[in-house]
Amino acid sequence: MKKRLYLELENCIGCRSCLAACTQCGGHEERNRNYVYDVNPLVNRQTMPLMCLHCVNPACARSCPAQAIQIHETGAVLSALVEKCIGCQNCTIACPYGIPKFDTEQNLMYKCDLCIDRSKDGIPPMCASVCPTNTLQWLTDEEIEAKQKQFNLDNGKWVTSMPYLEGETNVKVNLPGILQGVTKLF
Amino acid sequence: MQANTSITKKPGSSVNDAFASHFAKSMFLTIAGLLILTFIGTRMFTHVDLNLYGYMVGTIVFIGGFFYRFIAWGERPPTKLFIKKGLKLLFRKSTPKTAVNHLAIYDFIRNRGVYRWVQHILIGWGCVLAFLVTFPLVFSWMYFTMEDNGYYTIVLFGMNIMNVKADGIIAWLSYNALNIAAIMVTAGVCMALYRRLKNMQARAEQKFMYDFLPLYLLLFISITGLLLTFQNVVLHGWMQPQMSLIHQFSVIVTLIYLPFGKLAHIPFRPLSVFARNYREHYSEQHMKECKVCGDQFVSVEQSNDVIQVLDVNEIDFNMNDGFNLAELCLPCRRKYRIAKFSGFATHQVKVKEANQNANG
Repeated sequence: MKKRLYLELENCIGCRSCLAACTQCGGHEERNRNYVYDVNPLVNRQTMPLMCLHCVNPACARSCPAQAIQIHETGAVLSALVEKCIGCQNCTIACPYGIPKFDTEQNLMYKCDLCIDRSKDGIPPMCASVCPTNTLQWLTDEEIEAKQKQFNLDNGKWVTSMPYLEGETNVKVNLPGILQGVTKLF
Repeated sequence: MQANTSITKKPGSSVNDAFASHFAKSMFLTIAGLLILTFIGTRMFTHVDLNLYGYMVGTIVFIGGFFYRFIAWGERPPTKLFIKKGLKLLFRKSTPKTAVNHLAIYDFIRNRGVYRWVQHILIGWGCVLAFLVTFPLVFSWMYFTMEDNGYYTIVLFGMNIMNVKADGIIAWLSYNALNIAAIMVTAGVCMALYRRLKNMQARAEQKFMYDFLPLYLLLFISITGLLLTFQNVVLHGWMQPQMSLIHQFSVIVTLIYLPFGKLAHIPFRPLSVFARNYREHYSEQHMKECKVCGDQFVSVEQSNDVIQVLDVNEIDFNMNDGFNLAELCLPCRRKYRIAKFSGFATHQVKVKEANQNANG
């Protein structure tokens, strides 16, 4: 059963467990590849995670002169192949979400690979497996559809991937609660 | 693109029109170059080593595969751009330093770990040494003659380079150059295999076909090569002809595979020197200021090039807010996305992004 990473952004409490878990994934060399942002840092404590959304047509890979960014058969856009990355940083400029990180010393780009050694076997990526508030979930397409139905209040406030992103993505993003006045029980 | 060139240029006027494709032209020029060099090197084909005939055919098949791969790769919009601008910037003052750094001593790999650096030096320089010895031998650009008893004359491109004592140190190094290379490669490959099997970070990402196969091929070549020496020295040449065929097979298979797998990074790596030159040169020219915070984060040239490359791929990130996403620095671009999600303009708040490194 193919599962996807699914983000319910407003559940985030800013614990940064996903960042810590990311460092522990095999192949990540103890460095995290995702972000957690304060939405309005001087006013309240709302945070939101931001990770690679694994575009169906990834700008990073299209702009890579070395073919170092490969797309896995699961749809995950992989981190740069260490032997191919030439350190031009085109991908960091191309990515519409500013995700790829660059190590100047190692002359190497690294980015979220959806913990490919886990997710290729259906195991959730590290961030989703530790998230305490279900901000990051690992769901089948049917479950995501059910979520969409559950929150579809037909008031035009359903916030999901397409209009707020730059293209079709393999990770689905959703902001259902606050904007629709739904009370959630965690 | 094709239509443009045919309008601006008169058809049939350029030498390029003599060839059906880039591939045909590159192939023709290379084979012609090899023939001329071999003609000179063998003193008009009088010193061809027919023992190595198989390697010669293998090399020519390899060149065909290499051009096929290289041209397909070079036609990709971003690659084409880097090759074009890289060639223009080739004669910068810093080029020799960058080239030595990236292509000879691999400083960036040392920063990934000393173990990985040692293994790469051993494999890389072992292979380079082997290449430098075998190719001149295969095309007979280099050979040995004995005019005086006990002295070899080394002939390179038809010129007598030096006379060496047949049992001297230089002669010994020449006979054993391939053995030394084989020992270097074997040691490096064993280190690499050990790391791939034992290191948990490495294990997560290894695939048999992509990461292990090239190592096994290199090991296959090195071991069969060393066995040839062993058979000569210890076994008086027992089974040597058979082993030499197996060795030949291993080399040719690896050569033909080289442009298509992990080893393809060998011919493609010089592009990293181009990329470094490109970044250094255009950063000195004019830096791009982030449209939100005003920080200088990349050269104007690169920002424009990326926008253009994405445009060729029919990807367009022009926002309604009046900027292209490639004109925002990375933190601002991320905050801008958060702003898109929440409806609140996070990127306009002048606060540095907090705790993104999971350091507690």
